[in-house]
Amino acid sequence: MVGFAVIGVLLVLAAIAVVVARQPVHSALALIAVTMGLAMIYLILSAEFLAVAQVIVYAGAIMVLFLFVVTLLTAGKEETESADTLEGQRWAGVILGLLVGGALAVTAVLHPAPKIAAPVVAGFGGLHAVGQLLWGPAFVMLAAVGLMLLTGVVGVLMLNRPEVAEKNAGGGRTLPAGVTVVRAEGEDSA
Amino acid sequence: MMINYVVALAALLFMIGAVGVLVRKNPLIMFMSAEMMWNAAALAFIAFARNYHDVTGQVMAFLIIATAAAEVGIGLAIMVAVYHRRHRLDIDEISHLKG
Repeated sequence: MVGFAVIGVLLVLAAIAVVVARQPVHSALALIAVTMGLAMIYLILSAEFLAVAQVIVYAGAIMVLFLFVVTLLTAGKEETESADTLEGQRWAGVILGLLVGGALAVTAVLHPAPKIAAPVVAGFGGLHAVGQLLWGPAFVMLAAVGLMLLTGVVGVLMLNRPEVAEKNAGGGRTLPAGVTVVRAEGEDSA
Repeated sequence: MMINYVVALAALLFMIGAVGVLVRKNPLIMFMSAEMMWNAAALAFIAFARNYHDVTGQVMAFLIIATAAAEVGIGLAIMVAVYHRRHRLDIDEISHLKG
């Protein structure tokens, strides 16, 4: 319980750091801390396979992708955030978010779920237990996720086709303010 | 192990992520906040899986992780494509994407 409290406090601090950081790189580093802390909590909750998957997929794949894009797009630049188009949207967002999140957290603490007294069975949360479900009753979902990942790969390839990227390059800044055309002329024929 | 505190932690993480999406204008940071919301949902699933001794919740968390990976790939590709066109990282540049 003490370990969980310590990790929980660190998690909340790292999560706040993700949101308030000025540089996206600092956000990415704080998000890695969140990921690692969550993996430790998964271990406490006897979800060993998920903890390993979290570290490999999040810290290993997703955050590396994030860091690649951050270094590609924001290297050596100091971007200031533009003014709000909607008056007071930030304060409204913060206050409403705090209200909703606080209500959810208080409800969760005040209404504990019924407990099962028996200790968890051996191998609970291990690779074997999760795999038995994934390749058995939940196989439809596994196949659907595989299809979705394939769709994602094809979508990324379509979004950054070389001929489209060449057409788009350099055209951005010259657009006068107020022009609402998003697609460039002739892009349909590509 | 008191599961309700874990669920409360998941709610806090979700709240911080939601506030980040609402408040920030850098699409990269908004994306990372959205990742935190995915993570909070997975944490709630795993907490209840532990509480009810049912591995199905962990399968759901696994699917959430896979979905988040696909979402990051697509989202970062959109961001790079928009940056090629506009040369600025600001979510208001993509406001034409709204319905």
